[in-house]
Amino acid sequence: MNCCAQVGAEAGGSAPFLTDHTTLIDSVETFIFDCDGVIWKGDSLIDGVPETLDMLRSMGKRLVFVTNNSTKSRKQYGKKFESLGLSVSAEEIFASSFAAAAYLKSMKFPTDKKVYIIGEAGIQLELKQAGINYIGGPEDGDKRIDLTPGQLMEHDHDVGAVVVGFDRYLNYYKLQYATLCIRENPGCMFIATNCDAVIHLTDAQEWAGGGSMVGAIKGSTKKEPLVVGKPSTFMMDCLASEFNIKTSQICMVGDRLDTDILFGQNGGCATLLVLSGVTTLETLQSSENKIQPDFYTNKISDLLAAKKVTTNA
Amino acid sequence: MHGPISLCHDFESLCTEATASASLLTNPAKLIDSVETFLFDCDGVIWRGDVLIDGVPETVEMLRSKGKRLIFVTNNSTKSRKQYGKKFEMLGLDVTEEEIFSSSFAAAAYLMSINFPSHKKVYVVGESGIQLELKQAGINYLGGPEDGDKRIDLSPGQLMQHDPDVAAVVVGFDRYINYYKLQYATLCIRENPGCMFIATNCDSVAHFTECQEWAGGGCMVGAIKGSTQREPLVVGKPSTFMMDHVTSKFNIKTSQICMVGDRLDTDILFGQNEGCATLLVLSGVTTLETLQSADNKIQPHYYTPTISELLAAKDLANGLHSSLL
Repeated sequence: MNCCAQVGAEAGGSAPFLTDHTTLIDSVETFIFDCDGVIWKGDSLIDGVPETLDMLRSMGKRLVFVTNNSTKSRKQYGKKFESLGLSVSAEEIFASSFAAAAYLKSMKFPTDKKVYIIGEAGIQLELKQAGINYIGGPEDGDKRIDLTPGQLMEHDHDVGAVVVGFDRYLNYYKLQYATLCIRENPGCMFIATNCDAVIHLTDAQEWAGGGSMVGAIKGSTKKEPLVVGKPSTFMMDCLASEFNIKTSQICMVGDRLDTDILFGQNGGCATLLVLSGVTTLETLQSSENKIQPDFYTNKISDLLAAKKVTTNA
Repeated sequence: MHGPISLCHDFESLCTEATASASLLTNPAKLIDSVETFLFDCDGVIWRGDVLIDGVPETVEMLRSKGKRLIFVTNNSTKSRKQYGKKFEMLGLDVTEEEIFSSSFAAAAYLMSINFPSHKKVYVVGESGIQLELKQAGINYLGGPEDGDKRIDLSPGQLMQHDPDVAAVVVGFDRYINYYKLQYATLCIRENPGCMFIATNCDSVAHFTECQEWAGGGCMVGAIKGSTQREPLVVGKPSTFMMDHVTSKFNIKTSQICMVGDRLDTDILFGQNEGCATLLVLSGVTTLETLQSADNKIQPHYYTPTISELLAAKDLANGLHSSLL
């Protein structure tokens, strides 16, 4: 049970709007932030984010950033934060691209095996960093399949895992290659960085997410993937271990109920939903929604109200 | 979609119990005599890719000579019925367009059956077969192969526009699948009120060339399921839509039909859902090992290596005739 139980949502009711920012902040040691829809939308920073992060740091809070977006590596995300004027180090960032590599390392993926990637540069860079061999990725984006009579696709029998994440260069070549590896290489793993249905790839609208690419491979292999991104707690376990923190000391802040909030709940954290991303108030309060965070607010800069309280005290 | 397995009275003397294992077909003559119509799947039964499976022409001729009605039902939506007619012709088989029911046709037939409004459009994630059938049915469409070369511009502020008149997205196998199409289909389903998500089929793999299995329509459908979190309405096997259409058109009882296919979770289930006799052939995607594995819950009445095994009935008839002389 987290420290916010006394002020949290009543069991079975809809999440309350956050009004006592100070109590929430004081009750945890670490804030985990999702990125898309919380910190930025596409490449645009959401209003009030820099001030909010500064305030939380000044209050001695640890900040960690966890994103399901596997298109960039931790290092590349570090550069994105920097380009947006935010001071965040690569070690504070846990991307699902990193999670895939970390998972393979944790189960001692054999050095003579390879990974086939459906995804972008982020996954490649993290695998390279972890010393794991790979093929596929953006380079396969221009390969065509025409299905001419007698056509046979060869595939590398040393592929021991297929890692699937968001891929804007998806094509049939990649889908078939991955399908062959999973169906024909004994013991070949099917790993998904995330299953997000839609994401704010640009700030203008929602775009089909990693869930699309993963869904395609589920459809051709009839296998369920091992998901390393939210809501799986793999990344939570990684960062809790890395920073030696108890999950009850964490507040998870995100814009997506079935990944961010479920991630926080699965890990035993306090949870705060922001409405600056994919979830609307209507969706949160709809009778079909079964996932209730402890609180909801409009955007993370609402937390700045705590600073005002502290200043006035 | 998956109805109860029912035993058909015409086969009671032949049938195994509903949950018992399938038997190797040893008495083809008896099976043939007990039905009036044979429903054949195509990929893995009649051909593999563009290569005819051995003995097919003779088998088809034999069944026709015995007065059997032959119908060809395929989940492969890449061609229209007319285009399939040409494929049969090219392979030396005498099959008319009216005897062919492809899932491309099924999608158009379904939309016609629900009086799809004439001012609305269909977005196609699939190949020309779907487009031709929609055109034949007088239904407006966009998408299809033409969108295969379109690329996404993800520069800041980029917005993909989509046609608000799209009231159905039809998804089938698409070798030219790309992110543009996935996103366009996703926007239509998520943002156009009441927009339908129709799948021609959910086959995981198919023999698009004779050399190996290729990721099938289930791949494209899975992609749209993943981005919309919606279940499609499936018009192809094992949904009974095509069976209902066939029985209505030819005025036949399903108990008078033998369904012959290579795939358990589409062909055999399709036949079982409607109370037909079912014959699995091992010339396609299913191996004997898969059929007999403990994980397999779908048992046809019979199995046989290829449809040409049915020719033994001809030999028997000839033999009998000779012995009567």
